[in-house]
Amino acid sequence: MRVNQLMRRHPQRAVVLGANGAMGAGSGAVFAAAGVPTTFLARTRDKAIAGRERAEDMLKSTAVRALIDVGSYDDDLARAVAEADLILEAVAEDLDTKRAMFEKVDRHRKPDAIVATVSSGLSIAAMCRDRSPGFGRSFLGMHLYNPPNVIVGCELIAHPGTDPKVVAAARRFLVERCGREVVETSDTPAFAGNRVGFHVLNEVAQLAEEHGVAFMDALIGPHTGRAMAPLQTIDFVGWDVHRAIVDNLHATTADEARAAFVLPGYMARLIAAGHLGAKTPDKGGFYRTQGKERLVLDPKSGSYGPPPRLELPPFVARMRALHRVGRYRDALDVLATAEGPEADLARRVVLGYVSYGLGRVGDVVREPRDVDRIMGFGFNWAPPGLLADFLGLKRTVTLLEVARLPVPRVLVDAAERRQPLFAEPHVDRGRFFFAGGAA
Amino acid sequence: MTYILGGYQTDFARNWTKEGKHIAAMIREAVEGALAETGVEPREVGVGHVGNFAAELYSMQGHLGAFLVEVDPAFRGLPTARHEAACASGSIALLAASAEIEAGRYDCALVVGVEQMKTVKPQTGGEYLGTAAWYELEAEGIEFPFPKLFGRLGDEYDKRFGLRDEHLAHIAAVNYGNAKRNPKAQTRHWYMSEAHARCTDRYNTAVGGRIKVSDCSQVTDGAVAVFLASPRFAAGYARRRGLPLAALPRILGWGHRTAPILFDDKIAESADDPYVLPHTRRAIVDAFARAGLSGCWELQGIETHDCFTTSEYMAIDHFGLTEPGESWKAIEEGVIDPGGKLPINPSGGLIGAGHPVGATGVRQLLDAALQVSGRAGDTQVAGARRFATLNIGGSGTTSCVIVVGGSAG
Repeated sequence: MRVNQLMRRHPQRAVVLGANGAMGAGSGAVFAAAGVPTTFLARTRDKAIAGRERAEDMLKSTAVRALIDVGSYDDDLARAVAEADLILEAVAEDLDTKRAMFEKVDRHRKPDAIVATVSSGLSIAAMCRDRSPGFGRSFLGMHLYNPPNVIVGCELIAHPGTDPKVVAAARRFLVERCGREVVETSDTPAFAGNRVGFHVLNEVAQLAEEHGVAFMDALIGPHTGRAMAPLQTIDFVGWDVHRAIVDNLHATTADEARAAFVLPGYMARLIAAGHLGAKTPDKGGFYRTQGKERLVLDPKSGSYGPPPRLELPPFVARMRALHRVGRYRDALDVLATAEGPEADLARRVVLGYVSYGLGRVGDVVREPRDVDRIMGFGFNWAPPGLLADFLGLKRTVTLLEVARLPVPRVLVDAAERRQPLFAEPHVDRGRFFFAGGAA
Repeated sequence: MTYILGGYQTDFARNWTKEGKHIAAMIREAVEGALAETGVEPREVGVGHVGNFAAELYSMQGHLGAFLVEVDPAFRGLPTARHEAACASGSIALLAASAEIEAGRYDCALVVGVEQMKTVKPQTGGEYLGTAAWYELEAEGIEFPFPKLFGRLGDEYDKRFGLRDEHLAHIAAVNYGNAKRNPKAQTRHWYMSEAHARCTDRYNTAVGGRIKVSDCSQVTDGAVAVFLASPRFAAGYARRRGLPLAALPRILGWGHRTAPILFDDKIAESADDPYVLPHTRRAIVDAFARAGLSGCWELQGIETHDCFTTSEYMAIDHFGLTEPGESWKAIEEGVIDPGGKLPINPSGGLIGAGHPVGATGVRQLLDAALQVSGRAGDTQVAGARRFATLNIGGSGTTSCVIVVGGSAG
């Protein structure tokens, strides 16, 4: 009850640990934009100041500086944490680093302060093991998406010891004051969004070895329901982050998609050579910009060359043309009925996403709506339920059977009830479908 | 009498150019949304009107009425037209449709307002918008002519009555704040505060005299479709939906006036008038008279044309919330705030919700209809029975006012 009352007016003060990184600065910007005085902490005060500047850039305001103070762990953590009602950890995505930080937080935090981690997939329970019982009750995952000032999806992850009132209070704060679209998930590897999303991303990375980078990004491009093509997305996320997520999923999950989480060998070799995507512009990732030229990786040789002349199957152009005039259902009908090996390949990935996404209902999330919301609001991808609606629910069941993919129970139920799966109010269905090619 | 059966607004935060979409997609989504929302059958629609300012410039596409026919096979043969009156284009389309309904020509009209503006860079867009003024005399060779014209509206208030920029900052903050409750508003996830609106920094620069970035409405892609109906059609529709006819919102009155196009001529003409834009005032008075209202206090809310904070500042006294020149009083007393005596722009207005030029008048009407039906969600004004809209084209040139009433209106 205490926490509930607190969060109705609170947090009155927040602290972000690791406020110099993209997620730390971005999350701190979200709190400050909600009017919450927030302390940005980093290893050094200068790094915290750089984080505040990032936050000002994201919010396009210097007035917000009045709400953000800065400091270093050594000089300011004890004081700042002791004053805060909400403490968000956004340090490196490494269990030991995070646990060491929480040990310090546990020593200084107010008894009723909520402590959260922005981790995108590490075990919440493991992070708070060995902490005080009070810490455990107040601890949860608060997975905002990058960049938090643009992407509003947010996962809340309780571990078995989290007080449900803490989850409710955090949810209220995020929804009512921070404008987040919140989805609660279980404390399973990579939670919901990254588990479902990186299944697609890594599968496309695997397929790129045989079919080529540019071809795969064009085949599973924006016309299949995403703002950014899959391999471009991995470059944006960073190959190191991609590897951390898929390695974790491969090591800790045992479902039908385990093989899809094996990092391709060519990626492992290039990561060892320092290729991390957009964050290493000189080396690149799947793409490398050299002067005005955009080069494409050849996964087989590890070298970069000019984009190949692609011969795309005609169904891709037909889908794009239909999206361009707003005929989304007709575009998905083309995907469902196109013939040829390329169409089979595209269906395999898109239907694999629908199958794996809706298949997580039950163990990772409670309802199909949860998967749809996190993929829509977190990834800006056409939600699996919406794709199934547009393909036709009964037909999706048949297509999954033909592709020998697991048919989620919730899909069969919806097909029997003849009720659309995607029922999010106020969301334009068309916003997820893009008519352009891979940029 | 013209009834409003309902409609659909696209998410004004979308960038349809980034989505690779043609303006036809915007029209289709809005119309399909309105059909789904209202349950109107395509074959029941008798006529279609489209409000749009400048698709020829932004999208190299004219003849937008014809794109209604693309939406559904049952629309083949539908009589259609497109209407243009700068930022008031949407209201002009509504007035044309309601006139046809009142004349008994058609029983059910589809009205779409649409503008795709993110096809060009901001400077080019500003140049296109300049054609809503007298281009050769007021806009040619001037970067962002409209902020400058509406900056001059503020200057004129300052000269005649005094004007403090902090009052304009409050208007900006209220509109952005309201937009946070509107799930279709363009700025619903943006940061804004009164402190930011008051400050001038590298993000909040002056764009035209006293007009800063925070005083401006947005460059927006958006489409809105509504269905208007005759009493006969509305009665059948209400029966079908299990509603009393009186539950359907309707147009109680309208006003429509055109002032001289040149801003200098407007100001010279009103030198001895209590109102800075007397033709806008007349449009409001006309609408009140046709609706049988004694004044603004019979309204529970207003959706006004805040293309800039100065235009809302003007609307406050022109609607009669205060004596001429005293708009600041309503601002200081919280009259226009959510929960105030007469809230303005619970949607967030053009500043917060966005301003897809030709769609704005239709968006205002739909929001007003939702308000008086008690269906405005988190933006709902408690007990709203009557709402007014003010939609302005140019620098106060074309003024359209529509009073919408609900079951108790």
